[in-house]
Amino acid sequence: MIAILILAPLILLAALGAVWKARPVHAALLLALALALNAMLYLAMGADFIGLVQFMVYVGAVAVLIVFSLLITRPGDEKAELDRRPGSVVTGLACTLPLLVSLCFMISRLPEIGADAHPFSGFSIEELGLTLYSTHAPAVIAVGVMLTAVMIGAALFARDIGGKSKPPSE
Amino acid sequence: MLLEYLGASDWLISLAGMAVAASTVVGVFAGAFALLSLIERKTLARVQNRIGPNRAGWFGILQPVADGIKMLTKEDIVPAKAEKWLHLLAPILIVVPAILALGVIPYGREWIPVPLETGLLFFFSIGAMTELAIFMAGWASGSKFPMLGAMRAISQMVSYELPLMISALAVVMMTGSLSLPEIVNQQSGFHFGFIPSWNLFTPWGLMAGLLFYTCSIAEANRCPFDLPEGESEIVAGHMTEYSGFKYALFFMGEYLGLFAISGLGITLFLGGWQAPLPGLDIIPSWAWFFAKLAVVIFTYLWVRATFPRVRIDQLMRFAWLCMIPMALLTLPAAAIWHYAGRGMMGWLFTFPLLALPWIAMAVFYNRRFAPATRIYRFAE
Repeated sequence: MIAILILAPLILLAALGAVWKARPVHAALLLALALALNAMLYLAMGADFIGLVQFMVYVGAVAVLIVFSLLITRPGDEKAELDRRPGSVVTGLACTLPLLVSLCFMISRLPEIGADAHPFSGFSIEELGLTLYSTHAPAVIAVGVMLTAVMIGAALFARDIGGKSKPPSE
Repeated sequence: MLLEYLGASDWLISLAGMAVAASTVVGVFAGAFALLSLIERKTLARVQNRIGPNRAGWFGILQPVADGIKMLTKEDIVPAKAEKWLHLLAPILIVVPAILALGVIPYGREWIPVPLETGLLFFFSIGAMTELAIFMAGWASGSKFPMLGAMRAISQMVSYELPLMISALAVVMMTGSLSLPEIVNQQSGFHFGFIPSWNLFTPWGLMAGLLFYTCSIAEANRCPFDLPEGESEIVAGHMTEYSGFKYALFFMGEYLGLFAISGLGITLFLGGWQAPLPGLDIIPSWAWFFAKLAVVIFTYLWVRATFPRVRIDQLMRFAWLCMIPMALLTLPAAAIWHYAGRGMMGWLFTFPLLALPWIAMAVFYNRRFAPATRIYRFAE
């Protein structure tokens, strides 16, 4: 409980910063901070595996991906971009509002946690793996197939571009 | 023990245990870092037929102290265009994960600072922070060489992290555990009474170990994969705009990371703290661990002194066309090894599975990417 009280406001602040900061690099780093704090929240709740995976995937891979794309492109200032295309605020709101509403709806539907709620007993990683690969095997396979398709697609895109520009001569 | 005797409460004892474990790790490896900086220079000098540092103290033994004093008393310069806070935060964020990663490695039978059930996962997820820290260093310096260095570093680390993790995954598959002490325990015992049953002495383990070693050189940004800080090309990469103590922190993070990753390699493939021959158990287990660590670190120095730096396109091609396919092959090889009874039959099936693609790859890539014959225009 104490962990949530300490971490939740920090996560909220980092997330708000990620949205409000005008410089994309600051926003990306704050997003990474918010994700890392989320991982710490999981760890504090005793879910070691999901916490570490969250850290590895979101801080180690997703945030680095965002940062790397910032490095190889030259993103302008967001304020200037907004002045150039004022309609983008509407598009952004239209994309995020349904998500927010559905999230609030889902949270409101959660069963009430009373004082008698027993704390999370904790899975061992072995149990988690067995559950994932027996009960939830179709979901895991579906995700695997989807990711493979995405990877092949990405490789094909990269190939196309690579064909047009000549590689450096040996 | 003393605290128990004094009647201290449980949490105090566990807190004291943690403090002792943490301070030992930090103390031992900070000392080892100082020593290694000297040994590295001495070894490189020996290979290159020089003498190396020999002014400070006996055989230059006080050179690290002199270096330390120099680093600490140097002026700390922050460039005018730098982002002050990120510039300050980056070196700290490089040292912290390295120290945290050192915490989960089993150094001896009883010496495991943090015996986590998810030790291996912890190691890799903490290591993920280094990339962001390097990006912060490169970007916050507000100059182009650090930026180029950070770009090179991130692309290199992302590319080599994949085969690194996949080769570690083969070990996890065989052990059925993410806990590092458990992985070491499973490598106890001897084949035929004298060959230690370490993972390195299996076909998949040999391949995975070689891949792990190569990737660990790349992850530690060491020669021949030291492009991110190639002195002759981009000054010092992401460290260009750092001076004084912050620069020393980068160095410290790099060497501690090197210790951590070689310690993990020893744990995964070289039997951790296990003795290499039966009957040698009388020597303490941690002594074996550090002996192995010394040998592995020496090979890093040897490689650095021997190989020239690769080019960035060669580096990337090597990662994506050679390392990752071979790393992926170790997974089915490990599975076949397991179902073929982990013995002679295993060798029969898995060795060709790994060796044939390896040879085919070597032949094909040598033909495909052979360097053009050099034309000497003026030297004929």
